Amino acid sequence: MDNLTRVTIDFQTSHLIFPIMIAVLLGLLGLAILVRDRAAILGSGRMWAATFREMDKPRFLGTLALTVVYFLLMVPVGNIWPNTGYGFLICSVPYVIVLGLLFMHERTPAKLGAMLAVALVAPPLIWWLFSEVFFLTLP
Amino acid sequence: MDLLAHLIDPWFLGLIFGGTLMGIMFGAIPGMTATMAVAVCLPLTFPLGLVNSLALLLSLYVGGITGGLVPAILLGIPGTPSSITTTFDGFPMAKRGEGERALKIAIVASVVGGLVSLVALYFFAPVLAQFAIKFSYVEKFLIIFFALTVMAALSSDMLLGIFSGVLGIFLSLVGTYDITNGGNGHTRLIPPGMEYWLDGGFALLPVLIGIFGVTVILEEAEIGMPRGQSLKDIEVGPHSRFSFSVFRGQWLNLIRSGGIGTFVGILPGVGGSAASILSYTAAKTTSRHPERFGKGEPAGVIASEAGNNGLTGGALVPLLSLGIPGDSTTALLIGAFALQGIQVGPLFIGQNAETWNAMIVAMLLSNLVMLVTMFFAIRWFAMVIAVPKQILYPFILMMCVIGAYTINYGIIFDVWTLLIFGLFGWLMAKLRLEVAPFIIGFILGPSAEIYFVKSLESFGDLTIFFTKSWIAVVLWILIAASVAGSIAISRRNARMISPSA
Repeated sequence: MDNLTRVTIDFQTSHLIFPIMIAVLLGLLGLAILVRDRAAILGSGRMWAATFREMDKPRFLGTLALTVVYFLLMVPVGNIWPNTGYGFLICSVPYVIVLGLLFMHERTPAKLGAMLAVALVAPPLIWWLFSEVFFLTLP
Repeated sequence: MDLLAHLIDPWFLGLIFGGTLMGIMFGAIPGMTATMAVAVCLPLTFPLGLVNSLALLLSLYVGGITGGLVPAILLGIPGTPSSITTTFDGFPMAKRGEGERALKIAIVASVVGGLVSLVALYFFAPVLAQFAIKFSYVEKFLIIFFALTVMAALSSDMLLGIFSGVLGIFLSLVGTYDITNGGNGHTRLIPPGMEYWLDGGFALLPVLIGIFGVTVILEEAEIGMPRGQSLKDIEVGPHSRFSFSVFRGQWLNLIRSGGIGTFVGILPGVGGSAASILSYTAAKTTSRHPERFGKGEPAGVIASEAGNNGLTGGALVPLLSLGIPGDSTTALLIGAFALQGIQVGPLFIGQNAETWNAMIVAMLLSNLVMLVTMFFAIRWFAMVIAVPKQILYPFILMMCVIGAYTINYGIIFDVWTLLIFGLFGWLMAKLRLEVAPFIIGFILGPSAEIYFVKSLESFGDLTIFFTKSWIAVVLWILIAASVAGSIAISRRNARMISPSA
């Protein structure tokens, strides 16, 4: 009985023990879900079709696309002026403006003015606070 | 300098006031945390001296943990990981026009939780530290295992909840088996070509900000960015008026949650969100109306906030007695001591009585400053909810980028992690997977691995998890009770749903 519970850990492969255990457990739980919810899983195509049909595509996909472009541009722009945080500053202003326009329902002059004011003031203020006062690294 | 001298020192008092306010603001802005507030201000403490620098950092800590309740309640986005459970009931209250009431309940609960932990810290620190020092890897693993079983109690679908939690553990293991924690320094679970980016795994903070910040914005964008609530929703009306009568019958919940937070804080490495999750679960399982939890029950807000503020005092116990931080924020405090050339350890309190007393006073005053400013200026904090979404959400996304990028001092992959886990969170909601267990698994996974493997390396026998000590036996009883409680709740929920189905 003692031998059944004895375990010898090889230090060189000790990084795999827990991940393998967790992977096996995850697989078993996944299998249990597959068996229990098989009807729902087989019908999930309809759910995804409905999700895509009812989705506000311009806002959802626009948010994703703008964010990807924002992240992609920040570092190359920042590399033009290294260690200044200008990449964050220069990319954030148009990002906040375009995203704000995308999220806005009625584009009245008052709402546009408020949004533009925040978009033009907030990023420089945040950049100044974190880059110049707190000396944090920004892209 | 004695205690009285600190109380009339304008520098000391000014740093506590400023630190608390700044901490509240850091915690209140989604994506910013108490940890970050302390990290940002750490270099500023160099010229202040030990007592004043600790006053500033502890105030930032107390303010930052508390500030997290503001976005948790008003936006459903936890400002800090430890306010995850505040969203469960605080946000539904805000959605039905009781934002101000929920905030004031949370503030009072936070102060009581903070004071409970402070009393425990001051009077019982040596005793509690002696108790915690007895924990070997085995007991530490069992404590985490116990916290993970709580996942089941928090899930609306137990199987999907456990799956989500195990998935969180699995993803937390991506990267290097950390050599500083006794691992062998080898990597695992990294897809080919991603070695450079994932060597250190996914950073916790960008994962949290992604799931709780970016996901919320993606979900709102998906449904066409519905118009937000107006200032009228948070005005003091008959439906939102705060009264201390809400605490009638909740004193046990308050003290218990503060006590749980303190205890969890004392256990090195377990801290963080486990405190509020355990407090919340205890309140839910002992409530006469557990079905109201998650739908705007004030007792849930009370438990969560008293629990996470209870952490503040508790997390300092292992730090000051053993030199081991109770959570990530107190880990940064070691930096403050190092800057001043002081080593924290078993001898600290005895040899630095003045600093020890000043720390207690600083935390006490910080709790009071937090109570007064937030209680009476909550309208200003609450105005976050009335900011139009076309202004607020782009701003939040921008702040999320700063938080993710700066937490590891400038790693762009952490910014991409935001988006990856933002999308992942959106996908989880579609697949009915549970976010809370996933996050708990992700936070506790790496510690669970270290303690589990080290237990087996040290003792070479699986039975050690049952036979190590009486503490292990007690922990197994708690684990069994937690599992049984989860099953009972699950069956009761199923019975409640079936008649109406």
